[in-house]
Amino acid sequence: MGNKQTIFTDEQLDAYQDCTFFTRKEILRLHSRYHELAPHLVPMDYTNEPDCKLPLALIVDMPELKENPFRNRIVESFSEDGMGNLSFNEFVDMFSVLSEMAPRELKAIYAFKIYDYNVDNYLCKEDLEKTLNKLTKEELTPEEVELVCEKAIEEADLDGDNKLSYADFENMITRAPDFLSTFHIRI
Amino acid sequence: MTIEQQRQGLAFSGSGHPTDQESLRFRRVSSRMSTQIYHEPNSSTSLAQEEEQSGSEPTLELRNTVFPMALKKAARQVQQMQVPAQFNGGSWKQKRIKFVRQFKSNVREFLYFFSLWGKTLQKIGGNFGGGVQSYFIFLRFLVILNFVSFLLIAGFVLIPSIVFRSVGIKPESSKADVSSECLKYDPNPQGLVVFYEFFLDLLSGTGFMEYSYLFYGYYNNSVIVTSLVGSHFSYNIPLAYLLTAVFYFAFCLICIIVRMGKAARVAVTTGGSDVRSYSMIVFTGWDYGCLGSKATKLKQRNIYYRLQVDLEEERLKKHAASLTLCNKVTLHSLRVLMFFVAVGLIVATFLAIARATTFSQENSHVPGILGLFYTYLPSIVITLGNFLVPLLCDQIALLEKYPPSATVVVALLRAVVLRLVSLGILLFTLWKQIMCHDSRDKCNLCHYNHEDYQCWETSVGQEMYKLTLFDLLVSIALLVLVEFPRRMVVDHWSCKLTQWVGRQEFVVPSNVLGLVYGQTVVWTGALFCPLLPLINTVKFVILFYCKKITLFYNCRPALRTFRSTSSAIFFLAVLLFGWILALVVMIYSVAVIHPSFACGPFRSFFRMWKIVPESFSTLPEGARDFLFFIGSQAFSIPLFAISCVFMCYFIALASIYGKSVAMLRAQLKLAGQDKQFLVKQIEKMKPLSPQHNEGEQD
Repeated sequence: MGNKQTIFTDEQLDAYQDCTFFTRKEILRLHSRYHELAPHLVPMDYTNEPDCKLPLALIVDMPELKENPFRNRIVESFSEDGMGNLSFNEFVDMFSVLSEMAPRELKAIYAFKIYDYNVDNYLCKEDLEKTLNKLTKEELTPEEVELVCEKAIEEADLDGDNKLSYADFENMITRAPDFLSTFHIRI
Repeated sequence: MTIEQQRQGLAFSGSGHPTDQESLRFRRVSSRMSTQIYHEPNSSTSLAQEEEQSGSEPTLELRNTVFPMALKKAARQVQQMQVPAQFNGGSWKQKRIKFVRQFKSNVREFLYFFSLWGKTLQKIGGNFGGGVQSYFIFLRFLVILNFVSFLLIAGFVLIPSIVFRSVGIKPESSKADVSSECLKYDPNPQGLVVFYEFFLDLLSGTGFMEYSYLFYGYYNNSVIVTSLVGSHFSYNIPLAYLLTAVFYFAFCLICIIVRMGKAARVAVTTGGSDVRSYSMIVFTGWDYGCLGSKATKLKQRNIYYRLQVDLEEERLKKHAASLTLCNKVTLHSLRVLMFFVAVGLIVATFLAIARATTFSQENSHVPGILGLFYTYLPSIVITLGNFLVPLLCDQIALLEKYPPSATVVVALLRAVVLRLVSLGILLFTLWKQIMCHDSRDKCNLCHYNHEDYQCWETSVGQEMYKLTLFDLLVSIALLVLVEFPRRMVVDHWSCKLTQWVGRQEFVVPSNVLGLVYGQTVVWTGALFCPLLPLINTVKFVILFYCKKITLFYNCRPALRTFRSTSSAIFFLAVLLFGWILALVVMIYSVAVIHPSFACGPFRSFFRMWKIVPESFSTLPEGARDFLFFIGSQAFSIPLFAISCVFMCYFIALASIYGKSVAMLRAQLKLAGQDKQFLVKQIEKMKPLSPQHNEGEQD
């Protein structure tokens, strides 16, 4: 590239290109978006790998995430401390998995994490109920919610333990033709 | 790729720089993972993946792993350190893979820049969902198809004709032994032309427009065999005309089949699943790309509505199961009655169209506005029928009480039959007139009705031209006179009636059927009106922008969404059905009806296809023998046998894949059960300890 930018070293950009599905241009654009969220906190110069994390409240304020009912869970799934504080690495990782070039398996793993509210590696009935309420803005009656959750678990549960393990979830996702296009945020 | 290994990876938390111990552990993990067969079905990375797997070095596709970014970077550093230990070819291979990947992403960015209306389609998809977006994608496909077809026709028929006409080559007179009555053709208006006639002619394709490049009658049957600029140059316009038409049909068929194949592949890999199932809606129903609070609220309402529909179907099923015999009998007899009523309505429409076409053809020489009305009468009746009959069928469907999904399918089938068969009825009526089925004496002289149709191909072309134009005018008129006022009224005047009527919904199926109908008309008319694909391209582009405007300003997103994946196959199947109808018309015109004596490229032939055997005889000896050999039995029977063998092979392959998919699914189930069993065994064998392992639940 012609112009010299001093945000990342070339080595860093190569590393980002190998570890995510973004090109150099997109990574620089992501950095400017990250910087916009908190200009006084985020340094412009990332060559020394500064240790800077943005809190959950700032990240979910982004226009791409603001209206998403699962925004808190999305950010929490990608944060290392589980509290939703994202460093730039995790920020890029999040949008890389949600981009259109990420493969189905990778997206399925993270979708499973997002819907697993109590983080026990199983999607139990309570997780489904919370997901459903977020989806329909609590407009279904409790009996209807109960019925839908029961039917959903019945359909997808393969090993008969009344909750969905990752294998059940993945098996169900492979039969969903729209999954790749719906689990996708454009940035 | 198991959750356990990745969770072990996640056990490294904290800083981005792994300590020595951690990096050692990590190296073990990475080597363990690299020895696994990492199956990546995703097409964008599979090529690089397979190359890496087949190569001598066990590299890991980092971007597909679930480690946090810092770990991925560390793994990459480890990989880079491993590289010099391998032979030189290895690193060259890695560089090549990287280069290929970079090149592919550059090409993709470049092509995206060229893709027509890409940004608009994204916006539509984000705000109105996949179903509406699939309509616009289909429209874009048809625009490109029509434009490429026009380029084909222009290159092989139009431009040579223009060139030869400008050079001054005169058409050869018909050598056939026929009376001079049949050779009479005077399309140019006689005497002084009134001013508004110009406008009427533009709309109905008569007058100054009839004898122009627009219609079949203008093209000459020039067969140029000259020695221009020293080289032996020959161009056979009639042959070019016929072969271009045939190739145009074949090209459209190939495009449709290829597109259908892509859509079918997606449907087959997902196993033809029931998308309406609850787990799918809950886990894959939300579109993460939804922007804006309005679109989000609508999406939520949409999901709520889908769940309601499914719950309603459950209730209906329970209700149907609890019906007494008497109720069932009444319900079924009511359904049969309503079916006959619907069929009756459709047949009545067909009769009306036939009558209107006959009437219009009989009164085509009435001057003025009334004449224009008479010429457009078939189009008007078809449009009215296509508008009223589905409305009535919707009311009938309320009485039939099918489950909601069946109602949609039945309504669609009725609409498809209505649209395409009504076009067929129009063409059938025209054919009857041309071949004088009613008055035998008119056809005795020239084998076709030369009194009413001096150049029957041009008349058919004019009819198709009028249909296309009328379709466009009606769409624009509806937009201006119905949809905008409706929105104005609903927005600014709130009373119970307007609340009940509400804003317009963008109904995808009926709009798609409109597109299919328009395209079928173009296919039917392409042989007689070579510029029709160009007119259709312009029409569809105008339609795109009109529909986009009406979508964004006048419509609210439909509560009842249309599934975008299976519907793509349905649209293409209906389009294929329209193509077959057009093909039947073309074959009939080429093989059965005598071409006009007075006009067109085939004026001296007994049938249109006779040009092919005649041109055959002018081919050099070798080519002729080769083509005869291909047509003979000595070649075709072995070819047929070999194709049968290949077909059996592919069928066997397909069934094997289906069986292996089912087997793998069963294996997956067993693996889950095994895991449960093992976990329970571990629980039993471990003494009670304060640590809770993963197996303990509740």
